[in-house]
Amino acid sequence: MRYILRKVALFVITLWAAITLNFALPRLMPGSPVDAALAKIASTGQAITNTQRHAIEVQLGVPHSNVFSQYGQYWKNIFTLNFGRSYSFPTETVTHTIGKALPWTIVLVGSTTIIAFIVGTLLGVYAGWRRGKAGDSAVTIGATFFGAFPPFWLGLLLLYLLAFRFGVFPLKGGYNEGATPSLTWPFVRDAIVHSILPAATLAITTLSGWVFGMRNNMINTLGEDYVTFAEANGLRSRTVALLYAARNALLPNVTAFGLSLGAVVGGSVLVEGVFSYPGLGNLLYIAVSNHDFPLMQALFLVITVSMLVAIFIVDLLYVRLDPRVRR
Amino acid sequence: MKRRTPMLLCAAATTVALFGTAACSGSDVKSSSSAGSGTLTIQGDAGNPTLVENFNPFASTALHGQFLMYEPLEIPSPIDGTYTPFLATGYKFTNPTTLVYTLRPNVKWSDGQAFSANDVTFTFNLLKKFPALDTRGIWAQVASVSGAGNTFTVTFKQPNVPFAAQVAQVPIVAEHAWSSVADPVKYTDTKPVVTGPFTLDTFAPTQYKLKKNPNYWQADKVTPSEVAFPAQASNQATNQLDVTSGKFDWAYTFIPDVKNTYVNRDSAHNTYWFPPGGTIGLFLNLTKAPYDNVSFRKGVSESLNRTTIAQKAVNGYLDQASMSGLILPNLQKWLDPSIPNSGNITQSASQAQQDFAAAGYHLTGGKLIGSNGKQATMTIVMPGNFSDWVAAAKEVATELGQVGIKVSLDEPQYAQYSTATQGGTFDAAMGGFAGSGDPYTDFNNGLNSSFAAAVKTPTVNNFQRFKDPSVDQALGALAAATDPSAQRNATFALEQVMYNQVPVVLLYYGGSWGLFRDNHFTGWPSAQNPYTLPTNYTNAMLVVATRLQSAS
Repeated sequence: MRYILRKVALFVITLWAAITLNFALPRLMPGSPVDAALAKIASTGQAITNTQRHAIEVQLGVPHSNVFSQYGQYWKNIFTLNFGRSYSFPTETVTHTIGKALPWTIVLVGSTTIIAFIVGTLLGVYAGWRRGKAGDSAVTIGATFFGAFPPFWLGLLLLYLLAFRFGVFPLKGGYNEGATPSLTWPFVRDAIVHSILPAATLAITTLSGWVFGMRNNMINTLGEDYVTFAEANGLRSRTVALLYAARNALLPNVTAFGLSLGAVVGGSVLVEGVFSYPGLGNLLYIAVSNHDFPLMQALFLVITVSMLVAIFIVDLLYVRLDPRVRR
Repeated sequence: MKRRTPMLLCAAATTVALFGTAACSGSDVKSSSSAGSGTLTIQGDAGNPTLVENFNPFASTALHGQFLMYEPLEIPSPIDGTYTPFLATGYKFTNPTTLVYTLRPNVKWSDGQAFSANDVTFTFNLLKKFPALDTRGIWAQVASVSGAGNTFTVTFKQPNVPFAAQVAQVPIVAEHAWSSVADPVKYTDTKPVVTGPFTLDTFAPTQYKLKKNPNYWQADKVTPSEVAFPAQASNQATNQLDVTSGKFDWAYTFIPDVKNTYVNRDSAHNTYWFPPGGTIGLFLNLTKAPYDNVSFRKGVSESLNRTTIAQKAVNGYLDQASMSGLILPNLQKWLDPSIPNSGNITQSASQAQQDFAAAGYHLTGGKLIGSNGKQATMTIVMPGNFSDWVAAAKEVATELGQVGIKVSLDEPQYAQYSTATQGGTFDAAMGGFAGSGDPYTDFNNGLNSSFAAAVKTPTVNNFQRFKDPSVDQALGALAAATDPSAQRNATFALEQVMYNQVPVVLLYYGGSWGLFRDNHFTGWPSAQNPYTLPTNYTNAMLVVATRLQSAS
């Protein structure tokens, strides 16, 4: 019980620190939302003028109040879940903007994380069990090869070959142009087809982490006396590998898995960018490049809170998985 | 200029583009029959991550489709200022402060109500009431407006004939639709009531469509039955693939090696036109020595090989810039014939050393040493992701290095760049000059002393802080001139200042990257028929859309 109480207290303190950092960091960025909007105009080749600067400043309604009252307002917003309007999408509330993007990221990044974890862990168990043999070499070399690809580069390559050259998959977006999101079969099928390339990119490039983690843990665990004892007792090798060795070797990977699940809502800025996927990663990129404080704060808040919650849950789960931490 | 993307993606784009050049040439493009000959497909707004419906013509985040729905009085060409009339049939200055428009008769709003002078007066007064809508700064120049019958009269605070271009371009909204809008700044206008050639048909998060307005006053000149705007991808590489796949009738994207990557994919139909749309220059901080010395600036200008710079920066798609300050050939008719070689400067090391000597700098052991015994140095600042500016600055650094100036480059984010330039705390900066199609606007924005704020007081205009009473006098004369010869004389005086005082070292022309397919529609702007710039994100769209012909 004391363990759990301590974890709860730690969770609350970390949460406060993270939320405060979320407030401070965007404001430490050089530049202002007005300059970011002007940059967009300048980059299209139009001459920018003082008049435009003034009008945009008034349009955005950039706050002029002091930092402390902004901080107070910020906390009030968090408790009322009212983040106001963003500068990038001034006609929508931030909550609405995020709500539109969130499901896309959760489904895409969430499902690829789970798939990569399961496949990667199983491959790692196999490689660890068959260490030094041909199967191990194949898995290790394969994972090294694909793991070394930068995700956005692999994304561009797949995009160029499969979408542009051979036209097997659509080039961009989360669904067909002109379609309106709805829970009907044609739309869901459309969305699945659009998600294959980004999902493959994410899965392929994250797989290797799970493979290596699991393989190393397996090799360590297989050296333990109780494994030798089990083998000496003549248990079937699959039983030894999965129930004796893998069960214990899995523990560190579970921690990492929890953390990756927490990171899911952060999306994948580069991969979502390459595929123009309508998710949070893309939204985050827009928020940062527009100096969009309201949107950035809300996004970072969602990301930090889900990360901290994931860590907290993993901590609690550990009590069940590993009796040693209970002391 | 290029649509910018993060450097990381740019590098990746180049990689893919290399594959593209090698692999593209052999394959042919499937003609997009799904669009049908009646649909005009324009590469739309950046949908990041998805489009947000907003057709409020005064909002900075409005979707570009609004340009095909709302009409202004007239649209001046950004190339040479020639007017295309829309809701007005013409204008005249009854005196240099009074501008009278004749409004077009028998125009109807898309909901069937008649358009009248009241709508125009209402629109201008709306901008007065809500300064956030007034992005053209109308009410800084205008004292009052009034409408009666078929005329609309604008009274200026002081003579400003060229400002008619700004007045003419204000999109006109319907009084009966907008008078009930409580806050027009936040208004999203999802059911636009318009006078233009198209009205809103459907909106989805990745594409919106406009349909032809049957009430349009020149409906017989509008060929497309509908216009589709699929959203742009959020990164440059994906966009380039999207464009080369041939789905757009009209796209706007910088593409390297355009002949191989775009035209050759369907050489029967794919065309491009990259006219100059602005001038990119090296802005020297005139509040600092030695840049405040005109001889030193001339020396810098003569040390540069602008053809090489244009080659490095914009693949040679565009030429070196004329030091007259005019974009040529767009504004050829305004060029002072007494300026040698149309203002094009030829690199001359010997001439440069003479000018440097006049500024007290001498080449000693490969270094340009000033009278204080120190080498001339220069730090050029530019946003790190404006790749053409960076490429140009690198070449400038090399060439100035050869005449003995120690140049270093500073490539921060745009935010730091704008703080440094607006505040006047920079040495040298890359920047844009001109591009409005009107010499007065260009020179006024770039050189008017009234913008030259003290250092640390931000200004976007004239950030190099040039002050010259003769410029202000010429600008004043040009603003008040209604007679063509007086206008020409005042413009010539400004060109002479530009050429002789070198307030900005102009380098090369920034491009406007129009990519067209003519299998559905013809009549696109081109070098043979340069009626407007190929920009598909400005009111030039309205001029183009009312000129297109069916290809079949």
